[in-house]
Amino acid sequence: MTTTAAPAAPAAEAASLTPTLRQLWHRARWFLAAAAVLLVAGLLIAGLGDSTAYPSLDPRSAAPDGTKAVAQLLRAQDITVDTTADADRLATPGGADTVVLPLPDLLTTDQLRALAAAGHRRLVLISPDSTALDLLAPGLHTAGTADLPLAVSSASAVPLCDLPEAQRAGSAELGGRLYQVDADSGATGCYPRQGYPALARTSTTQGTEVLVVGSGRFLTNQRLANDGNAALALGLLGTQPHLTWYLPDYQALPAGTAAPQKSFTDLIPDGWRWAALQLAVATVLAALWRARRLGPVVSEQLPVVVRAAETTEGRARLYHRAKARDRAAEALRRAVRHRLAPVLGVPLGGGDPDPTTLLAALGERLTGHRDPAGPRDLLYGPPPSDDAALLRLADDLDALERQVRQP
Amino acid sequence: MALTGRTALLAALGSLVVGLLLPSWTGIGVVGGTVLLGVLADLLLAAPVRTLQLARTGDGAVRLGEPATVTLTVGNPSGRPLRARLRDAWPPSVFRPGTELTASRRRLLVPPGERRRVDVELLPTRRGDHRAHRVTIRSLGPLGLAGRQGSHLVPWTLRALPPFTSRKHLPSRLARLRELDGRTSLLTRGQGTEFDSLREYLPGDDVRSIDWRASARRNTVAVRTWRPERDRHILIVLDTGRTSAGRVGDAPRLDAALDAALLLTALATKAGDRVDLLAHDVRPRGTVLGRSATEVLPAVTNAMALLEPALVETDLRALTAAALRLAPHRSLIVLLTGLDAGPAEDGLLPLLPQLTKRHEVVIAAVADPLLAELATGRGTLPAVYAAAAAEQTQADRRAIAERLTRLGATVLDAPPTALPPALADTYLALKAAGRL
Repeated sequence: MTTTAAPAAPAAEAASLTPTLRQLWHRARWFLAAAAVLLVAGLLIAGLGDSTAYPSLDPRSAAPDGTKAVAQLLRAQDITVDTTADADRLATPGGADTVVLPLPDLLTTDQLRALAAAGHRRLVLISPDSTALDLLAPGLHTAGTADLPLAVSSASAVPLCDLPEAQRAGSAELGGRLYQVDADSGATGCYPRQGYPALARTSTTQGTEVLVVGSGRFLTNQRLANDGNAALALGLLGTQPHLTWYLPDYQALPAGTAAPQKSFTDLIPDGWRWAALQLAVATVLAALWRARRLGPVVSEQLPVVVRAAETTEGRARLYHRAKARDRAAEALRRAVRHRLAPVLGVPLGGGDPDPTTLLAALGERLTGHRDPAGPRDLLYGPPPSDDAALLRLADDLDALERQVRQP
Repeated sequence: MALTGRTALLAALGSLVVGLLLPSWTGIGVVGGTVLLGVLADLLLAAPVRTLQLARTGDGAVRLGEPATVTLTVGNPSGRPLRARLRDAWPPSVFRPGTELTASRRRLLVPPGERRRVDVELLPTRRGDHRAHRVTIRSLGPLGLAGRQGSHLVPWTLRALPPFTSRKHLPSRLARLRELDGRTSLLTRGQGTEFDSLREYLPGDDVRSIDWRASARRNTVAVRTWRPERDRHILIVLDTGRTSAGRVGDAPRLDAALDAALLLTALATKAGDRVDLLAHDVRPRGTVLGRSATEVLPAVTNAMALLEPALVETDLRALTAAALRLAPHRSLIVLLTGLDAGPAEDGLLPLLPQLTKRHEVVIAAVADPLLAELATGRGTLPAVYAAAAAEQTQADRRAIAERLTRLGATVLDAPPTALPPALADTYLALKAAGRL
């Protein structure tokens, strides 16, 4: 049955909820403004802050492991400091200049040969390996075995040699790779650590003075002010009016690495990579297709669900946990008395019939069926002593009730 | 805007073109450009959604459990055909359970300048007002690659009225009522009876009812007869507090109480009595006052549609005061509440004398059939304890009922299906006894 009375006729006219362009602009302009402010602020911060990360021992780096400080000191002494990442520039014939070469082993053998032939006045090698030593520093070898060169961490050491720069500087923090000096080569070893020099000087046949240090740590901004580090650095690097600081390409693989293995993607035809890319585009489109809902989810207030019998069930569990056999038995007995009284014609005075009248009526009804003491114990007896007795009592009460109803 | 599966499929097929013919950025650009062109063309050529004209007609109210149809008319004023998917969003409980998704979504084709009707079949599963949420339309372009999507607010309210399942009891009770009215042979005068007619004395009539004055005017001896008074006032008070929220079977107690109140209203209206309704927990939730006999049942039904159990303790003092205010003269006050020990002892027992002083009071409570079921549990220890707890609860309810009866009220405590006829019978019995 549908009643014709419409209690709530449409209150408002139908209206489109799709925003117009003007509404979109009004709604979005503050978000757009906020996004623009964020973007500008980000660009400003990125532009102002010097976030370029230089590798260690880079004369442009002001970081603790950079060497900007020593470069500035050298410039203050009217020495021109150039940096180059181009190994070929090192091969151009030099004049009165110094070349700093960190990790010379990152250069190829040919480059090293060209460098040796270029005839620079002074060459400072920072922790070179045996290849570079063989080509650039005759009479010097790495200490320890070829597989396991001897190296220690930098620590303060005394010169113990007659190298003028070392004598001037006094003790300095040296370490890193340790070297061996051939006795008859005319090379000098200084700052010995564990018996092997951490700084060594030799010269090539072209007249280039080659200085080898095990570690460039004493040149860094962090350590330069310690000990005699600064004096040693200026002594090593500041003898010539030009200084060229080579910036090694740390990404370059050391020479002699095995040929790369072919991976799966190298083996499949080239076109399939593009097809996979196109498939990814299709996946994104499919995601967009599925993500767009046909209108928002409609929510609804749900009613609370409380079962009316919950309190009774809770009471039953309480009885059970407390082993309240007496209360349970009394409840069952009273219910049976309450049901039997009307059947037997006994008045229900205030919910519970009079015991004597009820028992008398019961005895009369059950004469011959049961001993008279049974119903009394059943209806008014002591509480059951254990769980089994309670179960028995419930069954006995049922039996009694059945007997009374159908004698 | 919205894309379709066809767009994704086209892009996926494009990977063949890219892989076999143009394995380069050019290929990806060509395929992407084609898809983009198609999507743009669809977006441009799809019928606009914002200018669509939507309107609703259909059922405004329906009895709970009966289907209703709400018709949505979609007019397409643009010059392009509208090929669309439409979703008429309603709260989930308005649809037939299990069909929420399918019932609300349609495919639609509206030629330019024409209108189409969409019938949405609703079957509310909950009482109360259900409001249409919004109509969302996705208008697809001619290629079916993309479409414009937008929503319209097309307000409509469907009121789900109480089901009044107990109306099957109405014919039998009306027959009893006619019997009661036709008997009219109450020879004794009492409270709640009015003069009916004079008739000839028959042997066996009480001599005290002989009207000597009338007998003097005619040749025969006349006796006065009386009939139950008509046009009595009945105030039905619904307690919508927390005890009415408890579920008995699958529905809250309140629903059973509403059913009983509806049957009583229908019966009393037919009997010529005036019926008022008050729903109250901590404050009045709804009243129906002073309606004429023809409009009281619809008014009561409508007022009941919006009643929900409130999870608060009923303020019985305020409820009693409101009831007394609405019933200044002697009335039958039917209080549909709970018989739980706590609220009844603290609230109802001390306040009942105020009501019974001047009024006839019937207190009707919805009993839980689960209690009777629990009470028969035997065999295991938990079952026996549950039986004992159920017996204890029932004994408590009986004790409360007993005390209320002693204070002069008529107490009914019956399960949901039995309560409406029991209340109707009580009303008829009170009427027959002239106690209204």
